[in-house]
This record gives sequence, C-alpha cells and structure tokens, in this order.
Amino acid sequence: MSTPLLAAMRGVSKSFPRVARRGERLRALGALLAGRERLDSTAVLSGIDLAVHRGESLGIIGQNGAGKSTLLKLLTGVLAPTSGTVETHGSVAALLELGAGFHPEFTGAENITMAAALLGFEADELAARREQILAFADIGRYIDEPVKHYSSGMVVRLGFALVAARRPDLLITDEVLAVGDEAFQRKCIRWMEDFLGGGGTMLLVSHSMYHVQKLCRHACWIHGGRIEAQGDVHEITQRYLAWQERRIAAERGNESSAVGSGHEFHVASMAVNGESGDVPAVIDFGDGLEIDALIASRDGREPVFALGILRADGTPVYGCTSEIDRARPLAREAGGFRFRLRFDSLNLLPGSYFLRAHSQDPEGMRLFDTVERALVVRGKSRDFGLVRLAHRWEQPGQGDAAQ
Amino acid sequence: MCDPFRAERPAGMRPDARWFHLLRQFVARDLQQRYLGSLSGGLWALLQPLALLAIYAVVFVEVLKVRLPERVGADFVPFLVTALWPWTAFAESLNRAVNAFPENASLLSKVALPREVLVLAPVVSSFLVHTTGFVAVLVVLAAIGKSIEASGILPAALAMILLFVFSAGLALALASLQVFVRDLGHALAQFLTLLFFLSPVFYAPEMLPPRIARWLDANPMSSFIGAVRGPLLGMQDSAWSGLLLPLVFAAAAALFGWWVFRRLRRHLEDFL
Repeated sequence: MSTPLLAAMRGVSKSFPRVARRGERLRALGALLAGRERLDSTAVLSGIDLAVHRGESLGIIGQNGAGKSTLLKLLTGVLAPTSGTVETHGSVAALLELGAGFHPEFTGAENITMAAALLGFEADELAARREQILAFADIGRYIDEPVKHYSSGMVVRLGFALVAARRPDLLITDEVLAVGDEAFQRKCIRWMEDFLGGGGTMLLVSHSMYHVQKLCRHACWIHGGRIEAQGDVHEITQRYLAWQERRIAAERGNESSAVGSGHEFHVASMAVNGESGDVPAVIDFGDGLEIDALIASRDGREPVFALGILRADGTPVYGCTSEIDRARPLAREAGGFRFRLRFDSLNLLPGSYFLRAHSQDPEGMRLFDTVERALVVRGKSRDFGLVRLAHRWEQPGQGDAAQ
Repeated sequence: MCDPFRAERPAGMRPDARWFHLLRQFVARDLQQRYLGSLSGGLWALLQPLALLAIYAVVFVEVLKVRLPERVGADFVPFLVTALWPWTAFAESLNRAVNAFPENASLLSKVALPREVLVLAPVVSSFLVHTTGFVAVLVVLAAIGKSIEASGILPAALAMILLFVFSAGLALALASLQVFVRDLGHALAQFLTLLFFLSPVFYAPEMLPPRIARWLDANPMSSFIGAVRGPLLGMQDSAWSGLLLPLVFAAAAALFGWWVFRRLRRHLEDFL
C-alpha cells in the first residue's frame, strides 16, 4: 500500500476477566502483580487483523454484542488488548466520547478548556480556536451556564465542535449523529463529508448500511468476536444484509407473512428499476427511474401511493402522489394494487439520496406505511445544487448574428 | 465552506507537554471544585488555616494549658503547627487519591488518557492548598514573635518535597489496588486516623518511654515530621542529616507505587 497506515491491529484479542466474585478479583490482582497476564476470562474479540490507511474510510458492521464497541475502545486506547498489538499513527479522536470529561458543575466555557486538554490541544491553539468552536456549537449564552443545565443536544453540539476543531487524522464514530436536532445533524454530516473530501479518514460503526456505504470504501463485518469478512464496502454490506435476511426469515418462519400488515394499507413490496431488496439502487446521472410498488389494502378499497425523493441529509427534493396526479393503479393483483411510476430522465445531480414510498388511504388524507430505499446517482457533474433544471443559454451567433 | 476549521489543523502537543497540560487542568479543576460557590473563593485557603491556628492556640494553650517538657525546647503551638500541616497534606492527598479511578470511571471508559494524572491531581492540589496554608501560618507565627528559624526553611521545604513524592508514590499504589479491593478506601481512612496518633504530631518522640520510642522510627511519617519540624524550630543540630531517612522512604514509595501501577494499569478499565 502506498498510502500511509493510520491504524493497525494485528492478531488482537480481548477478554474480559471474570470479576463477579470477590475471590476472583483478588486472584486476578495476585496474578497481575506476579506478572502473569493470563487471567480467567471471557473472550470478546479474537484474532482481529485490521488496517486503516489514510483516506480510506472503514465501516464496522455486525450485530449487537458482536464486539464492535470493544474494537473501537481498543483502537482509541481506552482498553488494552489481551494479546496482539494495536498501533495508531497520528491523532485519533472519537465521537463516542462527545461530552466525556464535561463536568456538570462547570460552565461550558470552563469545560471546553478541559476537554481540549484531553483532545491534545495546546493552550494557545485553543485560544485561537475558541471563537470558532463557539460558533460551530452555536449554543449562545448557554456557554456561561453550568453544563448541568444543558439539554443533551447542547452537550453533543459542544462536544462535536471540539472534535471538529481538532480535525484528527483518524475520526472514530459510533452512530452519534442520531442526537441533536435535524439542523445540527445536517451540519455534522456536511462537516463529515467535507472532512472525508479533504482527505480525512474515518472509522464508522453503524447499523445503517446506508451510512456505511455512503461514507466508507471498505467494510469489516464482525460476528461473534471475529472478523467474518472484510473488503469492498458494497460487497461486504450486501453479504451482511443477505445473511441477516436469511437469519430473520429462519427465525420468523411462517409468521413472516403477517409482518407489516397491521396497517389498513401497507407497502407490500417495492422495486426500483426492477430490483427489490434492501440494497441501494444505483443509477447513472440522467438515467431513468422506475418505481414498482404493490400496496395491500385490507378492505379492498383502492389506496393512494405517494413517493418522495430526499437528499441523504433529509432535505426533500421532490414528492408526488397518485391522488394529486389523478393516477390509477396499473393492476389489481392478489396481493394488492400495483402502481408503477416512471421518471424518464431523473435529473438529480450525482450523490446519495433516498426514496420514500408511502401508502395512504383512498382519500389521500392519512399516511399508513413508509418504505425507504437508498438511491445513489453516479456520474460527474459540475452543476450546483440538487437537480439539473432544464435550461439554455442565449448566446451570440444563434438566430440574429447581426453584431 | 461549511468547515470553519479547515484552514489549518492544530499540530497537537508533544506527549510530555500534553501530560503536564492535562495534570495542570485536572489540578485546576480540583482546586476550582473545592472553592466553587464559596463566597471568599481562594481566600478561604488562607483564612481556614489561620482560623484553625487561632482555635489551637486558645484550646491547647489557654484552656488546656498544654506545656511541652523543657528538653523538647519549643512552644506548643509552633510545635503542633509544624507537624499538623504536613500531616494534613499527606493524609488528605491519600484519602482523596485512593478513589481516583472509580470517581473518574466514566471518563476512563471513554477517553484514553495517562491514568496516573488522575491520581496525581488530588495529591498535587492537596499539597498546594496545605502548603499555602502552612506558609501563611508560619508567617503569622513569626510575626507574633514565635521563633521560626530562617535557616531551617530550605531543609523543611526539601522535606515537604520528599513528603510529596512519598505521598504520590503511595497514592499511585493505593489507587491501583483500590480497583481490585473496593473497600481499601474505607480501610485507609481508619488506618490514617490510627497512624495520626502513632505519629509525633501532638507529642515529641522524647516524651515517650524509650522502649516505645524505638518503634517510632518504623513509622515513615515520624521521620518526615522530624525533618520539617526540626529545622523550622531549630530543634536539631544538623538539619540535613534528618533528610536522609525521608529520602529513602520517598524513593521507596515512588518505586513501589510506579511498579504496582505499571503492573495493573493495562487492566484497570476491565475491573472498574
């Protein structure tokens, strides 16, 4: 690899010692003081080999309890590996520690000083950036209030502003973007995209395959404390999703047919350009888009189908419904009513979006069900914004070329 | 465009600079916390020891009429003060440092930081507070005509530094062990109360029967108290020889503390 290595784990295992009983703690203490590192313990991670190179973001996926958080703690140095080595080069900051080290009795301003010290800021560096941190956190006069009066959102804002100011070589994050209001979340996502665009490297632990695919080039699937697979993000996430679907199907068995049908009208299936399943639909810039949806109706009345297109950060781009367009279903089938909606040329600029399909009652008044699919528009465009609007430039030499 | 920090990335500190910067932050926070919300703020650090001095003077000298035997060669109040403040710094720093890890458990589980800083911060702040008080009390004693030997200030200061090293070493060991033996903190408080009376704070070693006085040397605090009190009150012929034993104790405690901490530090988080 030509790109410099930022973090590496070699043959890393982690076991947590058994500490429930008093005798076990004392025995462990005796063993450690005598220089014996092998303790009576439960393995959480074993045989982990991992490398993160500069500019190559890595997504960590896996079920709850697979060992993802432990892996992050090993990387940040909070936990020491039981065997193997963990090395990091350059600065590492973790968004899992947002607000860690904040003392509730102290004001936001006082806490910035401490948190900055933990992040490795020098005093004059912090002084130079304090204004920027305050502007980014945008919590106004609360900065001089004790942190105990803050809402959880404000703590996160301040914490994120500090990490953003630190601009680490490797950013480690664990689905923290679910906190804070929508405007701030958008600000964070924009910052992250900018960070990644500027050559930053990220290690993301997420249950959202959509986020992982959007932000990472590589993925690592952890299962039962071991690496199940790692490699290209699309390949790994698809394998993971397929595995998860099989597992869920096996668990549910026959009852699966009842799932989701609690609504009077629900989206029984949706295909994007002929493809169903929970993988992002990928189209080229300027291509068409065809949505095929089957809406089940419990009482046999004809439902309304609505479709929305949103940018990845949640900004609505466009939406339409069969009711407003006075469109009828294509066919009535055993499973419900089939709608087909075509965009001949979807002029969305390259980027990540998602589609939301909704089922509504026949009056178009109530929303019953929502199904989301990620949509990736590939290609290159130097236009600005979300969508290429039909336009033309009036230029000399066209029509009257008198001058 | 949306990133105000884009311009240049902070270089970050050298590791040892970060260490001292962190320690300073934790000490500052600890001091701030002590005086948070108190009206007089930092002034309390001076008023409290002076009030204490006045109380001791009234209770022991005026009410109880305590007199030291002639051969000890000192007034009771200066005699008490020159041992009580060093003792308080020592005992308080241990009592506070022993619980440093569980008290900072949430921080330790999220941020990688040099863990010894968390233990050293309460030791440093206790010594800062009580050394300041000690100096204030000595100045007042000198001002009201009690004899404080100017030539004894330097050896006494060195003894205080050795006492700090001694306390820091013990604090590191105790705080690391506390993670495995949870009730160590309670036991330590009891033990320090006992040790207080086994140390020559209220009495001089010369006042004990010889067969008991011999055992006093086994108590490290006895040598530290001697090394601070002796030179300041001019009770010793040579102030410097009294520093030998404290030096040995301080070095031993520092080595022991560092050894225990080194062995256990990688595992603290697992047992918290």
